[in-house]
Amino acid sequence: MSIFGFRISPSSAINLDKVDRTRFEELCRIEPDAMRCMACGSCSATCPAATFSGMSVRKVLLNLQRGKEEEAFRLMSNCMLCGKCTMVCPRGINTRHIILSICRIYEKEAGR
Amino acid sequence: MKEIVVIIGGGIAGLEAASQLLKLGYSPIIIEKEDHLGGKVANWHKLFPDMTPAKDIVDELIASSKDSNIFLNTEISFINRLQDSYNIKLSNGISIMTKYILCTTGFRLFEAEKKEEYGYGIYNQVITNGDLEHWFNTGKDERIENSSMQAIGFVHCVGSRDEKARNSQCSKVCCITAIKQAIELKEKFPDAQIYCFYMDLRLFGKKFEDFYIKAQKDYGIHFIRGRVSEVSENIEGKVIVKAEDTLAGKPIKVTLDLLVLMSGMVCNPDTHKMAGMMALQVDSDGFLKSHDNVFHITSSTKKGIFYAGACTGPKTVPETLAEARSAVLDIHSQIISGQ
Amino acid sequence: MREIYLSGYSNFIIPFMIGMIFVLSWCIIGAIRVIMELSAEDRKKFFLSLLNPKIMAKNIKDWFCDCLFHVKLWKRNKLLGYMHSSIAFGWFMIIVIGHIEVFLYTPERIHQVWYPIFFRYFVAVTENTMKGSFFFFLMDFFLLVILSGIILAITKRIRSRLFGMRRTTRPSLTDTIGLYALWSIFPLRLLAEGFTADISGGSFLTKSLNDVLHFFFSDQMNMLPTWWAYSMALCVFMCVLPFSRYMHIPAEILLIPMRNAGIPIRHSRKGISRLQVYSCPSCGVCIDACPMSAVKANTRDTTVYLNRQIKRYNERRIEEISDKCLLCGKCTAVCPVGVQGDRLRIAQRSIRKYNISQDYSNIDTNSLKNQLNNFVTTENDFVSDIHNQKVLYFAGCMTSLTPTIMKSMTSLLKKAGVNYGIMDKDGGICCGRPMLMAGRIDQAMELVAKNTEIIKESGADILLLSCPICYKIFKEKYALEGIEILHHTEYIDRLIKEGRLKVRKSEKSYVYHDPCELGRGCGIYDQPRNVVSSAGELVEAEKNGKESICCGGSLGSLTLSFDKRKALTENALKNLTIASPDEVITACPLCRSTFNRYSQTPVRDIAELIDSNTEIN
Repeated sequence: MSIFGFRISPSSAINLDKVDRTRFEELCRIEPDAMRCMACGSCSATCPAATFSGMSVRKVLLNLQRGKEEEAFRLMSNCMLCGKCTMVCPRGINTRHIILSICRIYEKEAGR
Repeated sequence: MKEIVVIIGGGIAGLEAASQLLKLGYSPIIIEKEDHLGGKVANWHKLFPDMTPAKDIVDELIASSKDSNIFLNTEISFINRLQDSYNIKLSNGISIMTKYILCTTGFRLFEAEKKEEYGYGIYNQVITNGDLEHWFNTGKDERIENSSMQAIGFVHCVGSRDEKARNSQCSKVCCITAIKQAIELKEKFPDAQIYCFYMDLRLFGKKFEDFYIKAQKDYGIHFIRGRVSEVSENIEGKVIVKAEDTLAGKPIKVTLDLLVLMSGMVCNPDTHKMAGMMALQVDSDGFLKSHDNVFHITSSTKKGIFYAGACTGPKTVPETLAEARSAVLDIHSQIISGQ
Repeated sequence: MREIYLSGYSNFIIPFMIGMIFVLSWCIIGAIRVIMELSAEDRKKFFLSLLNPKIMAKNIKDWFCDCLFHVKLWKRNKLLGYMHSSIAFGWFMIIVIGHIEVFLYTPERIHQVWYPIFFRYFVAVTENTMKGSFFFFLMDFFLLVILSGIILAITKRIRSRLFGMRRTTRPSLTDTIGLYALWSIFPLRLLAEGFTADISGGSFLTKSLNDVLHFFFSDQMNMLPTWWAYSMALCVFMCVLPFSRYMHIPAEILLIPMRNAGIPIRHSRKGISRLQVYSCPSCGVCIDACPMSAVKANTRDTTVYLNRQIKRYNERRIEEISDKCLLCGKCTAVCPVGVQGDRLRIAQRSIRKYNISQDYSNIDTNSLKNQLNNFVTTENDFVSDIHNQKVLYFAGCMTSLTPTIMKSMTSLLKKAGVNYGIMDKDGGICCGRPMLMAGRIDQAMELVAKNTEIIKESGADILLLSCPICYKIFKEKYALEGIEILHHTEYIDRLIKEGRLKVRKSEKSYVYHDPCELGRGCGIYDQPRNVVSSAGELVEAEKNGKESICCGGSLGSLTLSFDKRKALTENALKNLTIASPDEVITACPLCRSTFNRYSQTPVRDIAELIDSNTEIN
């Protein structure tokens, strides 16, 4: 986009006004645990896929809530569903169900 | 005749209550299952935030409550409820009749071996906050080598804020205790790097924030926001800790010579036994349930039974002392109105 | 025997014939459909199995033992076994003897299907046929056997606990109709034969009933309505049969040879899945067996209800039931007809559509291979071994969260002087079993391929596993020719037998918990028990071996939340500690941490137990 001859790159800031929450709300309806994360990072530290795609349930949930869906999908691409994150989560979040539900209800944008 | 008040538990809450009751002219009886008074605080080295020696506090409390009747190494066999009083039978065969019971049964530290992924009891370099205080007091712990200590880690929230450990509540005092212990260790091992792995730092009390700033600025203690998820051992016998630095958004790994687990406060199992005898309510967090949590923290739902200190939830030393006094006042006003 | 009616026909056979033709054509079409739905490969396998005398002998044995004698139910509960086998075998014998009678006395009528069923109506006894009173006796005897079974069946409706069942299935409408029809068939037959016993002959039951009836009714014409009623009851039963649980009677006949041929479930609904669903007799044995039934609300999510919902195409409930299951496989183990509840559920999960799919092609296995090589050379853990076998230890994801198992296991390997290397000391790739259990088979196979690559290159002779979840998929889906796959219970047992580990026996008593994936999943029951007995006194849980109760921590369930699992774990612990053992011993890292959370008794892994009871040689 070019205005007055300047190129404006899309801002990296998160604009919560423009975040579409419908799918996240659907996720919470399917698995209410999605709202219980306290971002302790246990899941990220233990995840065997973290070394490959940077997988972290914490980040996936955060990215989805901030409208950065593509980033969440990228992180999830190497998830092996092994359940270590479920084991270590201090809040007892059913992370595997969250991941599977995200894979079902979200859709990648066309062309990506 | 002097009114008898039975105090169950000779920790700091029980001692402070006894000394206040003595001042008011009552006759307190302290029942303590251990062979010494002072409870958990007696095992502690120094207290935050003024670094007061715990021994000083305990000694002072023992001195001021020495005129009460004290039964050490004694447990309660059973309690019978009569018309408006209680008949308490002790393990040493003595029976006591009283109208007023004050429960100051306190807490116990979470058994860190239950969090098996942290390796307590498996790896030789993993200790708990209780073990560390014991070492400060006695200097005896083979797990802590005095020489080459290069890196030390603290894990906050072990057995607290953790549903897997069956305790979802915050243990409240561990954050400040970790900072205190980190400073003390840094003083002992000035060359060591010290890392605190925390989920949230909850520094609510007077001077606590100052303590935090001091730890950062004067002692160079590293605070890492991330909960430790795995601990393993390398061939040199050091422990490797894995966590996520959630602020950097990256997994973090560090090799340590010593790992201190901040075991949280959970309710004493003996408290549950006693609660069963008197049909007292136990709250969802496992601690005793107060009449309400705002106005009558020191009252139970049963007439004549009062609470003080950590039997109703995690508390700091000043809070416990204040509660003991407040409970004594409640008992006093009930005695007066009853006459 | 002399025929009374030349035509050999009466109108009352019409309802019976309608029912018979309907049910036969339904079953034949159904059987053809199931066979056609099999994959070409499976179909070939099935037909070839029918030519194999060994499998055929097993089929015949199973038809008799399972369909007629209900041997599995006898083992469960004698009363329940008698109830089922008396009806099934008694009915079978009545049909067989009926045909023998027709064949002997009126051989020209043998092609008339209804003749053996209503034989007593059409014939009259003569002097010389009284020699056949042996058959009369048999007919009455088996009728009595059936009637006793029916009486038990009625009792079971009222007091199921007498039959060893705490909970029974709630019957559907068609089940109820079928049930009442079945109950009424044989009393009506008795009544009908009772009326004609003075003409057609009879034995102790029918003859005596005839005497009683003659006391009340003088008119012979009373007999026709009873024969009508008997025929009608048969008609109702056969007409509701395809829509009720009684469909299991014909379906099981086909399921047995298919089961023996080893045809696997490949499709969520078609082929063998369909056959299994229709073979479900709704007996409800799986309800009491299911570990989730510790919470009453979960009883509706057991296999019997899954089968019912699949028959009804209730997709919402099918999804709910299949996602909730722990996949412990206990329903499969106890099922008297062989419905594979766990595999059926994985098949339902496999048809889910996912918009986002995992892809592991970016994972570079070289870094993981290097990790292994580095480890071996720098730490020099490949010490000499009498067999000179290289053991590759794959601890698995769960074991890294129970480091004590890994530490004990490596300590044992060192003590035994085993030449070993650790594959996933610094993280590895998941075995694929959790992915497979979620029904995402393609993704699971990608993980299998990645791990295969690493293992093959390691040059190991033995792959040692600590986690039964890994063990199962390694046994079933990995093609690792030349590499022996062992769970640590098996390997420790071998090391003890070879004298490479000297175990000190303690005074303590231990109960061994069979992890689902190791016991029911892979059939490893004896080796861990040998190992535990070498270290102390082995006591058994109330339910053990193939009926052991899942710890509740299983990765199999997708939807069961953490807080809902507590009751299941506590129930499993109650079962385990029935003999008040000093310790609970398990062989799965997941069971260990799950039990450890709620157990009053100390919980340890078998490797820890042996490590603490072994000295260095």
